[in-house]
Amino acid sequence: MTAAREFLRGNEALAYGALKTGLNAFFGYPITPSSEIPETLANEFGNPRYPGFKVFLQAASELEAINMVIGAASTGAKAMAATSGPGFSLKQEGISYAAAMELPMLIVDVNRGGPGLGNLGPEQTDYFQATKGGGHGGYRNIVLAPSSVPDMAAFPALAFSLAFQYRNPVLILADAFLGQLKEDLMFPEVPAQEFDTSWATTGARGPERHILSSMHLDLPELSRHSEHLRSKFEEIDRREQRSEKYQTDDADVILVAFGICARLSQRAVVMLREKGIRAGLLRPITISPFPRGELAALVQRGVKNFLVVELNTGQMLEDVRLATGGRARLASVQRVGGLLPSPLDIVRQVEAMPR
Amino acid sequence: MIGVEGHYEVKLGQLPTLTGKPTHYCAGCEHGTLTRLIAYALQELGARERTVLVDSVGCSVLAHEYLNTDAVQAPHGRAPAVMTGIKRMRPDLLVFAVQGDGDAVSIGLSELIYAANRGEPITCFLVNNGIYGMTGGQMAPTTPAGMITTTTPHGRDITLTGPPIDASKLLATLEGPAYVKRVLLPVTPTPSADFYNARGSMEGARSVQNAFRVQEMGGFAFVEFVSTCSVNWKMSILQSKHYAAEVLAKIFPPGLYKDKFGVEKR
Amino acid sequence: MKIETILAGHGGQGVLELANWLAYFNMVKGRHVAYTPSYGPETRGGKVKCYVVSSDERIDSPIVDDPDILVVMNAPSMDFVPLLKTGGTLLVNSSLVSESHRRDDVKVVEVPATEIAGGLRAYSPEKGKDTAIAANSVMFGACLAVSGESIQDELDRIREVFGHFLTGRKAVYIPLNVKAVEEGFGHVTRARSAGLSPRSSVPHPGIAP
Repeated sequence: MTAAREFLRGNEALAYGALKTGLNAFFGYPITPSSEIPETLANEFGNPRYPGFKVFLQAASELEAINMVIGAASTGAKAMAATSGPGFSLKQEGISYAAAMELPMLIVDVNRGGPGLGNLGPEQTDYFQATKGGGHGGYRNIVLAPSSVPDMAAFPALAFSLAFQYRNPVLILADAFLGQLKEDLMFPEVPAQEFDTSWATTGARGPERHILSSMHLDLPELSRHSEHLRSKFEEIDRREQRSEKYQTDDADVILVAFGICARLSQRAVVMLREKGIRAGLLRPITISPFPRGELAALVQRGVKNFLVVELNTGQMLEDVRLATGGRARLASVQRVGGLLPSPLDIVRQVEAMPR
Repeated sequence: MIGVEGHYEVKLGQLPTLTGKPTHYCAGCEHGTLTRLIAYALQELGARERTVLVDSVGCSVLAHEYLNTDAVQAPHGRAPAVMTGIKRMRPDLLVFAVQGDGDAVSIGLSELIYAANRGEPITCFLVNNGIYGMTGGQMAPTTPAGMITTTTPHGRDITLTGPPIDASKLLATLEGPAYVKRVLLPVTPTPSADFYNARGSMEGARSVQNAFRVQEMGGFAFVEFVSTCSVNWKMSILQSKHYAAEVLAKIFPPGLYKDKFGVEKR
Repeated sequence: MKIETILAGHGGQGVLELANWLAYFNMVKGRHVAYTPSYGPETRGGKVKCYVVSSDERIDSPIVDDPDILVVMNAPSMDFVPLLKTGGTLLVNSSLVSESHRRDDVKVVEVPATEIAGGLRAYSPEKGKDTAIAANSVMFGACLAVSGESIQDELDRIREVFGHFLTGRKAVYIPLNVKAVEEGFGHVTRARSAGLSPRSSVPHPGIAP
């Protein structure tokens, strides 16, 4: 049991998870609290254990990095970048282009305190930016929300799989706490997957050539393309909502939380159950597409109370409100600035809810 | 329009490296000239099926409509970074971009400098006509002092905006690039002003070929083409050729600014 | 079984290293572990506070609000004593801490870790060099003792822990650190059997009496 277990920081686990799933290229710019990702990758560059890892390049800026990712991704490669809030903002132009060009890629945002320069504490304030598409134009990202170091290790494989299956950027929205937290983990076996990359640029083949562009000057043509992106996301929404339920089967009140908040909420559920309150936790794994289906099912079952626990001033709360359709009471525990709610704070908030 | 010589005498559209689609460029614009020079060079190299054009933003945004190669679009200014990503994954491909002065010297200056500094084996062509063409004639980093543009209606005041930036000299100060060249591309009036010679096109043709050759030898190649924009300069086409030769060429002197591999000596 | 520990001291005392060793030790014993390094206001002024949770089950919250064990390496860290659970254990580096803990519902184990470490010059790879820096290893031994581990059975695991963290040139320090662990463990065990230690007779589940 001890041989295969590792003890890693979240950021390191994510880097190794990416390597083990066949990462080809990393382009990044140092920014706390995500710098351990490029540092780990720089250390492993050239390691024969990862023969697919062909390019590691520290870019001159966040802008340069995302555009290098665009270039590498356009050749069909598994390319990624990692950043935090201010860098994530800079990357939005590139992500918009990538979504429009239908390029697969992995972008990691280790959410720190914001807005502006903020601080280095954990927040979930980039939720809107990540899930509603922080760049210009009509597109959506797929966004995975890890809650543990094992998640950080496993999500890169899932991310690239979804990215190539749907030809869409995939984001991992972690937080500064998870980035530094160390836990035991075992890397999952990743089955090798083949994807169609006939769209990638390789040079023209006879009369056929690959044009990867987001420019559609003809109005109906752009309309058709945008419709295509929309229907693609509808398919993603139908098929890729992911979440985890903890003690929800008989619960009267459901906590909804991801990231470090999911861990604190899980403890709160244990504490509530000890007090005879039937609480449960729904932990979104994809925050885009948001697990509306699970929430709707809970409302359908008769759950009347939902408590959203998040490190922002009410962003996921809006998605929960939409998903529960006005048929349930909503409350929320919100912390920003890098502060965290304690499980006791969460328990008290649940106790204060009318039931 | 182009000086023709021997094997260059082919009709537009017959080159496999051209799609044959009529270009949208304004009459008198050197973008059209450069497009053809690139097409000839790629044909010469037999490189069509291993070339990737990176589209930039500006008048050159539609380049892939005319050049018959694979193409990947870059956001405004980012072409050198996108080219880096492609070339690093596929060093076997010939990767190039045509950028305007806004794309390369304003919003994309950092990306250009760093690709040059790293010596990325890519090819960057800059069409420098001292103004923003596609967006309707605003000031560019290369706009000469005193020039009237839509954002400098009283003429560019360099005490407020700083003077024009010399991209070729700037890049030549770096160790990284292997080939930095500036060409006065427009037909230029002879001293008697009765004739116009196409020396610029010949020099341009050589420079484009050298710039691809340098990439194949593993070096970063940059060619700046001093050009015209008669529409936004609010001049006639002939006037704009004079302006390029007499004013722009003095601010941005043509010449060879760096040639690490000595390609021009061959 | 779950043990939640807070470790506190100032920068340079090796508190984070100690926390890492403790977590890794528990992991190689087959437990789930979580380690949370300092962040937040206490990092100003060089203060270090971190959490280690070890459990047979998957761990929910990695944050420790009311620890079973509080390891205090310097005097200002006594500020955290009020957090300790009733019946919990306060493990104090008595070389640097003389102030009273002011609680009669917790067990107090005093370990003159800095002095003990200082007495181990003979084990240093650099003959005669001051070894007080190994105080954190002494406390590691003390932590294992109060957690009910048996040093005889665990020497291999302890070497495995140091082997994981002290790599390359640092590997020459492994013997010193292993010895420090043994000394720390021995000190607590002897104090306990001499009846010097527990101030309270309230046993806490999971902690050795």
